[in-house]
Amino acid sequence: MTNALKNAKTFTFNMILLKSVSKWFGSQAAVDEIGFEAKKGEIIGFLGPNGAGKTTTMRLILGLLRPTSGKILVFNEDPLHKRLNVLANIGYLPENNPLYGEMKVWEYLQFISDVKNLKNPTDITDLAVQLDIEEVLEKKIEELSRGFKQRVGLAAALLGDPDLLILDEPTSGLDPIEQDKIKDLIKKISKNKTVIFSTHILSEVEDIASRLIIIDRGSIVYDGKKPKGRGGVEKLFKKSVKK
Amino acid sequence: MTYRNMFALYKKELQFYLNNPIGYIVIVLFGVFANFLFVKDIFLYGSASLRPFFDILPWLMMVFVPAVAMRTFSEEKKNNTIEILLSLPISETQIVLAKFFALLTIVAVGLLLTLSLPVSLYFLVTTTGSRIYIPELLIGYLGQIFMAAAFLSLSMFYSSQTKNQIIAFLASVITIFFLIIFSTDFVASFLPFIIQTGLAYLSPITQVGALSKGVVDIRAVYYFLSFIIVFLFLTIIDVERRD
Repeated sequence: MTNALKNAKTFTFNMILLKSVSKWFGSQAAVDEIGFEAKKGEIIGFLGPNGAGKTTTMRLILGLLRPTSGKILVFNEDPLHKRLNVLANIGYLPENNPLYGEMKVWEYLQFISDVKNLKNPTDITDLAVQLDIEEVLEKKIEELSRGFKQRVGLAAALLGDPDLLILDEPTSGLDPIEQDKIKDLIKKISKNKTVIFSTHILSEVEDIASRLIIIDRGSIVYDGKKPKGRGGVEKLFKKSVKK
Repeated sequence: MTYRNMFALYKKELQFYLNNPIGYIVIVLFGVFANFLFVKDIFLYGSASLRPFFDILPWLMMVFVPAVAMRTFSEEKKNNTIEILLSLPISETQIVLAKFFALLTIVAVGLLLTLSLPVSLYFLVTTTGSRIYIPELLIGYLGQIFMAAAFLSLSMFYSSQTKNQIIAFLASVITIFFLIIFSTDFVASFLPFIIQTGLAYLSPITQVGALSKGVVDIRAVYYFLSFIIVFLFLTIIDVERRD
């Protein structure tokens, strides 16, 4: 394959592609005719008020929900029909970070590593150092503070060094100090990856994201570059979201 | 299909019971009740056979098996950890099978605790110059494993239908209760002959009867395999739902 062809392929390759995607729950549209694409290396802040459709969109991308209409491609494959191929290269931190509380941290990470079929056991040790969870590896997850639980969830998402990270409200419920730590971690781990993270905390987007998508009542109301300067995101958000 | 991820989930499920006092309590209670109910009348039976014991077991399994299986999917759904599992590269079929075999292992351990009975019986009858027919014993236990597996698949199906473990438990116990009494004379006295014959055929008690006598009845094996496959399949369909 020539370099030009390789470049052309890289250029057209979307990590995520959503085209006119809707998801209805009964008579309620959780997302309505949304569409966007995400390229390699982008860090997308997915912003919106509570109930705007952020989590639904993320679940659609992961194939955890079937769209009512529209087309979704992740790594150019359908996440519902090629589920295992797609999921093998995605790290996911769900909203509220559900974990198996009865397991020790290392047991949990080993379990995730085995299910992901990873060969390298040093991954867990390296990640524990990177995410500063070495001291709690022997502790049961249910005994951990919320901040540590969040880091364990992040470590699980990062196992196998996936190309795409989907983080649903990674800092929700944390105190400001822990929020800052998690923000720094996301910045650190997001190199060479496509990251899509949802939040309703505006400063988070300002600090981490390279691109901003604002969703309101199931529709995308802004998709573009992050505004420059302090307070730019807040102004844009207030302008875009209906009261 | 790789089996490493399936084995990882099997191991995790098994560890839940091994690291949890409730798991031991349920298994030991089953062992104690099973031993006691047989031993209390051992001298009244007048034969060196475990058939009276195999007649008691379905009633114990009616409670024991749903108690072991009730949390399988209910808890995953309640804590939303099912979202973790479904976002990992493991198929729904592998998830259901891994959980099924882990539970079957637990039930088999419970049955192992009753092996003291044939051993005691062996020593008891040796002193009288009589003997135990080993193949009958082994086939009898095989029949009980089949029946336990059938009850497990049913209980797992109910567990996949609700977030409430108690509802899953009660639904399983009630269904198994009716399946058991379909074969009794009590039901026969109420229903027309044709209906009673049909219902009796559906009862696992009728099917396990030949196996308890030491006869390998292919129809019974076929019945149990079909029962297990149907309910595991229904469980897989539920886990595959993306509504």
